[in-house]
Amino acid sequence: MSVGMRVGDIATGRSGDKGDILDLTLVSETTEHYKLLLEQLSPQVVKELVSPLLKTEVIRYELEGLNAMKFVFPTALPGGVYASMHAGLHWQKAAIWLLLDHELSASKLGAPLDESN
Amino acid sequence: MNKSQKPVTCIGSGAGFAGDRVDPAVALVKSGLIDSLGLECLAERTLVPAIKLRKENSKKGFDPRLRTRLTPLLPQAFQRNCRIISNLGAANPACAGEEIARLANELGFKKRRIAGMIGDDVMGLTQHIKWNKPITGQANLLGAHAYLGCKLMSKALEEGADVVVTGRVADSAIFAAPALARLDNEGDALAGALTVGHLLECGGQLTGGNYEPIAGSTKRPPLSAQEYACLGYPLAKIFADGHAQIGLAPDTPGIVDKLTCTLQLLYEVHNPTHYITPDLILDFSGVRFEQIGSNQIMMHGARSKGAPPTLKVAGFVEHPGFTVDIEIGYAGTGALMRAKFAADVLRRRVSLWPGMETQIDLVGVDSVLGKCSRDLRADPVEVRVHISAACEDTFAAQSVEDEVYALTLSGPAGGCSVRSERRARIEVLDGYIEPRWIQTELIWSES
Repeated sequence: MSVGMRVGDIATGRSGDKGDILDLTLVSETTEHYKLLLEQLSPQVVKELVSPLLKTEVIRYELEGLNAMKFVFPTALPGGVYASMHAGLHWQKAAIWLLLDHELSASKLGAPLDESN
Repeated sequence: MNKSQKPVTCIGSGAGFAGDRVDPAVALVKSGLIDSLGLECLAERTLVPAIKLRKENSKKGFDPRLRTRLTPLLPQAFQRNCRIISNLGAANPACAGEEIARLANELGFKKRRIAGMIGDDVMGLTQHIKWNKPITGQANLLGAHAYLGCKLMSKALEEGADVVVTGRVADSAIFAAPALARLDNEGDALAGALTVGHLLECGGQLTGGNYEPIAGSTKRPPLSAQEYACLGYPLAKIFADGHAQIGLAPDTPGIVDKLTCTLQLLYEVHNPTHYITPDLILDFSGVRFEQIGSNQIMMHGARSKGAPPTLKVAGFVEHPGFTVDIEIGYAGTGALMRAKFAADVLRRRVSLWPGMETQIDLVGVDSVLGKCSRDLRADPVEVRVHISAACEDTFAAQSVEDEVYALTLSGPAGGCSVRSERRARIEVLDGYIEPRWIQTELIWSES
């Protein structure tokens, strides 16, 4: 069993924004990895994961045919990108690492990920 | 040959924002592969300085980089009859058209026809705009612009425009416009062209920019610095039924595969089954990408859900004061400890101004992802303390800046490399307007 496997080991992703809404996209190469992410990244899990930084609800959209999912955070960027109090502009471009750096739960990792054992 | 087996147009994407590189667009035109080039150069807030410029001078208010971008491009495009469609017109598309005609003339090209499309400025129609939230207090509505679709741009091209220059339009519409008149008369065909537009509108972000391959995947190595430096921008052959081949010109650095296309398809989309554009509401759930060659993808399956009842309006409100954003550096042994000290000192000092919203953190530690940042594995050898503060006026902004500078004399040792900036406090408001109130028009200029 791989120890410390990140979401970023089985998916790539990108951050986007519109107004005060943050959106994060994850895409996997295989249906197995996509399903594993669906199982481990429920909207509740993601909401808790980002809660130290973002006070917002989380909506998840599933795109099975593309092995992709979206997480939309409706009020994550109060006042929009330009009202940000972070250093410099566009901190949200790095927000996808909130998900990519999340460690998958080892007890739930299925057979397709056991190759490195 | 079936009508759908031959592309109706081939369009390139030469820019994805106002400050984007100029050379990829020139390379696309020189490839001879495209008959149209789209340049997306107008972010929401890019309109604000343009609106201010037009208020100062009624002949200004188009993108100030217009000449920089078009001087190397126009000769190449004119020689090949490659048409250019762009929102470089910003707050003044009619005068942008005149300026482009002047530039064409200076470059030795006569009888070139430039269409400036006006009508997106809806400041005179505010009684018909429904805002998502009320405009309050001392706020000052600087401007309001509706997002227009591709129909009039297409008409301009069919009437022989060499360049179509617009203000606020949907980015996707810029790229769908050259295809529109040649598509099958079905919603899904236009849905396909608009989806292509959505994929192309960010230039290099479709072809491997802002992209990291999956860490565990060995299918494809990441791009090298040299490849990023010469990144090719995408082009698309659009077919009559709306399917499209998307890719890079041969021997051009970049990555176009299922992953890069899927990321861009879903980029800044909220409900992927209901993506609203001025021309159509799009459903991306049936979109599929098939790799048909090196850096070549076939896209199909975009669907229309009909035209939206209203157009989106972006309104700009300027609040008084500034957001100040200041940093001070610490280096050498103990840099992290001294930076933490300095941050603590700053917190104590700014507490002297109750009610001022501030954020203080450490660049190199937690200034981007805040409390979600990963733990440090070793002490960094240099760190910067960052403070942002929402300041009501110049006096307040100066006070915060002075407090940071004061650390160099009265704070922990070695405070250095201070820098600061003040940003206007501009808010973008969303609103909606019924299309029947909007009067669009083409203003023609000729070189």
